[in-house]
Amino acid sequence: MGGKKILIVDDDPDICQGMRVRLEYSGYATCFAADALSGVAAASKEEPDLIVLDLGLPAGDGFLLIERLKTHPTLGVIPIIVVSARDARANRERAIKAGATAYLQKPVDNAEFLAVIRQALVAFTSVSLPE
Amino acid sequence: MLREMFSNESTGSFELTHVLRLSEALALLEKGGTDIVLLDMGLPDGHGLDTVRRAHAIAPEVPLIVLTGLDDEALAAQAMKEGAQDYLIKGEIENRALPRALRHSIERQRMQSETDLIRTHQMQFKDEFLSHVSHELRSPLTAIHQFVTILLDGLAGALAPEQRQYLEIALRNVKQLDSMINDLLDVTRAQSGKLIMEPQYTSASDAIVYVVNTLQGAAKAKGISLEADMEHGLPAVYADPTRIRQILVVLVDNAIKFTPTGGVVRVKARTCDDDPDLLVLEVADSGCGISPDLTERIFERLFQAPDLALAGRKGLGLGLYICKELVTLQGGRIWAKSAPKQGAVFSFTLPIFSLPKVIAPAVLQKGRGGRCITLVIAELGSRTGWLSDAVRAEYCHRVRELLQRCLHSDLDVLLPKMGAAGAAELFFMVVVTDSTGSEAILKRIRELFNGREETLQEGLTLSISCRSIEEIERRASESADIYLEKASAQIQAMMSGEISSRMAINGR
Repeated sequence: MGGKKILIVDDDPDICQGMRVRLEYSGYATCFAADALSGVAAASKEEPDLIVLDLGLPAGDGFLLIERLKTHPTLGVIPIIVVSARDARANRERAIKAGATAYLQKPVDNAEFLAVIRQALVAFTSVSLPE
Repeated sequence: MLREMFSNESTGSFELTHVLRLSEALALLEKGGTDIVLLDMGLPDGHGLDTVRRAHAIAPEVPLIVLTGLDDEALAAQAMKEGAQDYLIKGEIENRALPRALRHSIERQRMQSETDLIRTHQMQFKDEFLSHVSHELRSPLTAIHQFVTILLDGLAGALAPEQRQYLEIALRNVKQLDSMINDLLDVTRAQSGKLIMEPQYTSASDAIVYVVNTLQGAAKAKGISLEADMEHGLPAVYADPTRIRQILVVLVDNAIKFTPTGGVVRVKARTCDDDPDLLVLEVADSGCGISPDLTERIFERLFQAPDLALAGRKGLGLGLYICKELVTLQGGRIWAKSAPKQGAVFSFTLPIFSLPKVIAPAVLQKGRGGRCITLVIAELGSRTGWLSDAVRAEYCHRVRELLQRCLHSDLDVLLPKMGAAGAAELFFMVVVTDSTGSEAILKRIRELFNGREETLQEGLTLSISCRSIEEIERRASESADIYLEKASAQIQAMMSGEISSRMAINGR
């Protein structure tokens, strides 16, 4: 998965740094946005292969950001993984309906986090290839 | 006579409506606009206390004054327990006393409603506060978890053995704090009736094996032997697998806490002797035991054992309370048996999954000409050959939702999740139809899934097939139950065949 770029949208700088260390160690490049509004702008500018986002974001809810990204003409295809402190049982369905690929609850198990990212990237790539 | 009593009142203070039957009174109450009811308990279509119950149920916010005979004061007192505000004895009602009684009742009712409202608001505030605080606690905890694991996994350089040991202690405490936060949230949800359950066809034995493996380290560290002891071929239960594990973790964790070094903790599963529809799971320890007068109280919220010297650190006192909620919500019961110094046994029951019960409406449909039943099998697979649990759970959810919409009639059943079969996921539908009908269903499923590319875009595949079940002969003398058993056995055999063949393909 070397060279793939991941956009992290989370307003907690410590958590962002923790994710950066973990993901860069596994060979991913990372970029960041701290609120829902700049999330779409960062995605347009950075053209990431995958987006990891929190639900409790300033300047609009994470759900709103998922909807904005998923209805965007070019960014809509990028897989989104929600990593949130909110309860998975209560929010997973809504996030998936809005277009997210997976929902992980904080604190996230590292092995699962990396596995879900790998899975989403593999699937994304295989779909993008012509049949 | 009552009208007369109100004659002294200034006009407009009370407006009287008089009806002769309870049915008329109920209709009037349902319409609204009534401020108070004077209710005779001896109405022609009413029946004593039931009169009060029905009137109170239809308009709980309208105060009731019961009219009763001289010799019936005991009954009137009971009526007040059922929601009446007051009672008046017929023949002893004074002119002036009546309007006063009415005014008092209306005022009392208003005060009560206000108190109830305040209490509801307070509960709501407490729930929201707890939920908010718990979520906020998770963020710093997440950051600590991230960096402790970054250090432990060697991402920031090699660790000396002593450094590793200390970080492992930190991680253990992070996990403990995380589970306390989860407990707090579960309790908040339990109290507002919002605990979410996702019951399915699942194996209790698998849950036991998982929990014994997970907590083996903690048991070993304390020099305790932790064993699983299960009857062979136990039936599957209809329950939420994550919740079964959650309950067992609390019980086994407690057992380890209260058992001294050299002791034994056994987790057992067996069918229930008294009720063939239940499975019993048991956690038995050789620890300090519980005094008999506490075996009920330990399931209360915030209960703490009085002597915790042996157990080490106190918890929140929520574990067993949550267990009780989780067991009860799944249709089971939980209890403890113990004597001091003789260890304790915690037992809980879970409903055994019953295929006959689930498919009864489809199989026993009245007036169905030919008894054609078809088993539709949908298999979700992955082109990449591997699915993470989170991704798998989400796609299964979506596929289930779509399949639910493909059902032919109210009688057709989409069976609950049947457990994983290798890398694939199987869904079963029992459908009342012949071979032509099953072709139509297959076509419908294909159309519905093709129209929803996004459901399966992530490298997933869906294959569907049908198996019609042979005509099952039903003799005239045979009861519906026997017929249902036969059909269930056939469907069960087909499903097991399907699952085991997939497992063989997937090399599991």
